[in-house]
Amino acid sequence: MAVALRLALFLIAAACACLFLAHPVWFPAGVSAQSAAIDHQFALAFWILGGLFLAAHAVLAVSLMRSRHSGQPRNSHGDWRMEAAWTLVIAALFFGFNIAGVRLWSKMKFQQPESNAIQVEVTGVQFQWYFRYAGADGVFGHVDAQRFARPQEGNPLGLDPGDSDGKDDIVSTALVLPVGRDVDLTLRSQDVIHSLFIPAMRFKQDAVPGMSIHAHFRPIKTGAYEISCAELCGIGHYRMRAVAQVVSDEEFQRWLKAREVPK
Amino acid sequence: MDKSPSITATVRPRRLLRRYVFSTDHKVVGLQYFFLSLAAALTGTLLSLLMRIHLIWPNLALPFFGTIKPENYLAYLTMHGTLMVFFVLSLVPQSGFGNYFLPLQLGVSEMSFPKLNAAGFWISLLSFLILIAAFFAHGGAPGAGWTQYPPLSAIATSGPGQALGTDLWLVSIGLFCLAAVTGSINFITTTLKLRAPGMSLMRMPLTCWTWFVTAILSLLAFSVLAAAVLLLLLDRNAGTDFFVPAGLIVSGTAVHHTGGSPLLWQHLFWFFGHPEVYIAILPGMGMTSHLLSVFARKPVFGYRAMVGSIVAIGFLGFVVWGHHMFVSGMNPYAAFAFSTLTTAIAVPSAIKTFNWMATLYGGHIRFTTPLLFSVGFVSLFITGGLTGPLLAQPALDVYLHDTYFVVAHFHLIMAMAGLFAVFAATHFWFPKIFGRMMNERLGALHFWITFAGAYAIFVPMHLLGMAGHPRRYSELTGVQYVAAMVPLQKWITIAAVVTIAGQIIFLVNFFWSMFKGAAALSNPWECSTLEWTLPSPTPHAGFAARLPVVNHGPYEYGVTGREADYLMQDAEA
Amino acid sequence: MPTISSPPKERTPGLGGGGPGKIPSRRGYGGGDDGDRRQPEKFLSYQNRLRRYRIGVALFSVCVSMLFLGIASVYVARQRIPYYDQNTQAFISTWKAIHLPYVQLWINSILIVAGSITLELARRGQIKKAEFASMGILPPSLEREVPWLAITLLLGAGFLAGQLLVWNNLRHQGVYLRANASGAFFYTLTGLHAIHLVGGMAVLVYALLGSWFRRRFESQQIAVDATGWYWHFMGFLWFCIFALLHFSRA
Repeated sequence: MAVALRLALFLIAAACACLFLAHPVWFPAGVSAQSAAIDHQFALAFWILGGLFLAAHAVLAVSLMRSRHSGQPRNSHGDWRMEAAWTLVIAALFFGFNIAGVRLWSKMKFQQPESNAIQVEVTGVQFQWYFRYAGADGVFGHVDAQRFARPQEGNPLGLDPGDSDGKDDIVSTALVLPVGRDVDLTLRSQDVIHSLFIPAMRFKQDAVPGMSIHAHFRPIKTGAYEISCAELCGIGHYRMRAVAQVVSDEEFQRWLKAREVPK
Repeated sequence: MDKSPSITATVRPRRLLRRYVFSTDHKVVGLQYFFLSLAAALTGTLLSLLMRIHLIWPNLALPFFGTIKPENYLAYLTMHGTLMVFFVLSLVPQSGFGNYFLPLQLGVSEMSFPKLNAAGFWISLLSFLILIAAFFAHGGAPGAGWTQYPPLSAIATSGPGQALGTDLWLVSIGLFCLAAVTGSINFITTTLKLRAPGMSLMRMPLTCWTWFVTAILSLLAFSVLAAAVLLLLLDRNAGTDFFVPAGLIVSGTAVHHTGGSPLLWQHLFWFFGHPEVYIAILPGMGMTSHLLSVFARKPVFGYRAMVGSIVAIGFLGFVVWGHHMFVSGMNPYAAFAFSTLTTAIAVPSAIKTFNWMATLYGGHIRFTTPLLFSVGFVSLFITGGLTGPLLAQPALDVYLHDTYFVVAHFHLIMAMAGLFAVFAATHFWFPKIFGRMMNERLGALHFWITFAGAYAIFVPMHLLGMAGHPRRYSELTGVQYVAAMVPLQKWITIAAVVTIAGQIIFLVNFFWSMFKGAAALSNPWECSTLEWTLPSPTPHAGFAARLPVVNHGPYEYGVTGREADYLMQDAEA
Repeated sequence: MPTISSPPKERTPGLGGGGPGKIPSRRGYGGGDDGDRRQPEKFLSYQNRLRRYRIGVALFSVCVSMLFLGIASVYVARQRIPYYDQNTQAFISTWKAIHLPYVQLWINSILIVAGSITLELARRGQIKKAEFASMGILPPSLEREVPWLAITLLLGAGFLAGQLLVWNNLRHQGVYLRANASGAFFYTLTGLHAIHLVGGMAVLVYALLGSWFRRRFESQQIAVDATGWYWHFMGFLWFCIFALLHFSRA
């Protein structure tokens, strides 16, 4: 049994390592400005934690060996020096890692988007994402979901028909973005909590009813990237899908033009 | 005046009902909790099986259950989480084994408030029945997840199961809070005031330490959950607006609330929810420390450091709740504090891991089933724990939050590690409880299947999460990149089916040994703590007839110059 | 110090414990603290039991405090955090301040404090008597404390009636549970407090009628003692709630 257990620990550690090295599924390629730094932090995490995982299992397997020599007294109650040394090493490692992570976080959250950032209002509704662009005037119109929302009449968000600011607002079910420009999202929800998750952008933010949450990122590569909902929002949670279309700037302007309603 | 019932206390009640059902004996109450948890664990496991099958074969018609629909999936997921977290992981290690063995290890024959203790069990049972009743409510069981985030959980029209089912869920959990509080008052008072002479705090076995600290955690945490549950019930039924904001339109109808905040629920819930994780795992840590020492025939390495880390984990558990809310819209500045404090928890956890290995190192290890499960605990604790510092980083958590990575993390560290400790403890204390040994061969077989299964199920889930697979998806067809992960999901389902089937071995072993197992000696494992000074099975009177006096620490193994290699705690000085 | 080498001695079970399934009376509970062995066994066991109930009440108070702290933190947060209104596209606060009926609230405060005082008198008298009773000087009965307990109960009932009047007053102001968050919090906090006080009164009734239930004198005494501490805590909690409602009105 002793040998089997040691062998099992080695095998399991090896199998896990192989699985992660072979990785049948993996991160989608990062296509936002922040993804390189996040992926780097992930890589750091995997080397540190993976190393610790393998080392810990090796040590565990070794400690299961029956001691041949009786060098250390068996009735030993511990050794505070070893304990303190181990604690300091692990604390230094983890807190070092933590400091790196915290710096990354402040880079992600506490740098304002550029002034030319494109403003998009994201609204989660069971079970659909809506993306609203301010249109030519650059001002979002007034919205009152309880009074004006008529999904079947093409007004799912409840744009106030009496507000001229809202006349040129563009509501889309796809998130179309120009490449290389910051996008400043304002997340809202009409009913329950949703979470906008764009894996390729390494982006996720809850859309909470009653709140208006800002988050920004910058796509750096054109293409179509899937958006999913990451917060349980009801029966259709699994199919609350949208697509982020990252296109060139000209194409983006064309897309806006095509949808513009004359004032 | 002399109708006092205490005269008869040391005599076993003759009537079956008084003996096994309406008893205030801590041993009976402990076993009652144990079997309640067993029922909950079987239900919860069945639900997980149904969920795994539905994910892979969504249109498969199962006998008795029929075809599982997405709303059923959400109901199963909610109930699985609730049953497992509340009725299994909070009950077996703490209320089950704790009730049975805390007084015995402290050398006393009763808990501090026996009636309150029994009442706690009956409230828990009522709570369990109400929870199960939610399955039969109109609309079915709630489908908002065990975290019950409003407004999904607050508005009856937001989905099936959000009507009566959710009300039943809330009432059930409210009652559970009450039961947990009575239990913890009992545990704390017993530990503080009822200890055998000589049993100083620093001579308590680490199991008692963890039960004690866990009781403090549940006293504080469940009170806050009770407040949250009460407010949500008022929101649902009295038209208040603590958590439901204004201007909502759910399923096409306007909801008339005037401006609460859903984040407040999340703060209250996770203020309970994070300590709850430690309520589930701390007793497991204590049992593992205890068992590794017994079977390595060595004292626990660094007893004081172990006690210190238990207390540190308990304390830090209360200040890290925000790490569940990095993407919730909480102020991003708060993430700095929560991230750093969460990383701090890794340090006492690492101390414990180190000490477990150091306890094993150089010991004359006896490879019994309890030891196998304890080593399994350490291994799973390492594997599940190492992803903790990763998830503690807001920048990385943004990507991994609410994906299968998190599912893998907490199942490994809380569910699997916790269960391994429970299996170890069951094999270990079975002779003391039933007077018979469990079968070692079946035990080992069960261990190998479960150990391999735990890794086969949950390690691939990390990869799913890293590829961006959100959790709580009832079908894999809705999002294209998720649909690409079906093969790995299939593998997980197969592993889960095999592992769950393997649990039948445990059930067979358990019930067979209860009646047919080999008769146990009073101290079959040569363990030094006080419960083993009593005959097996534990006589009804416990220590009432014979008072232990404690002269030694709990882990005096590997001593030389005696016929046995250990010193009973009550051996003469 | 008894050791295992001495033959196990059956003792007559004393009056310890807290229900059937009882702890036989025993020396030296609690970490080898067995210094008072010259005292009569029964009294020691009673003392130990009393101490355990006091710890129990203290722990229960901690738990109730956490319950109220949870609600109070939501109160403060809910009041301070404005929410985003989609109508006006602005952050607004819908909090409506309540005009607290101070006179009534102060009368209720006086009632609950008075209850604390009368119950404390009963508690102290009863503690002295327990010692005398254990020496056989006084009969073990609560006779002299009965009036104090009855008065406490009346004061408690007065407090509850006063709260009802307060709620009625607010109702006439148009403050309902569902009208505005401020009202919801007011009723939740004070209502929960009242429910907890009713629990304390139930224990007092149990103590008063204990002899009818054929409860032992010690149980009655412990009930009075535990309720005494609990009542003080309820008074303290009441002033905390009052302070919260006053200082954090708008």
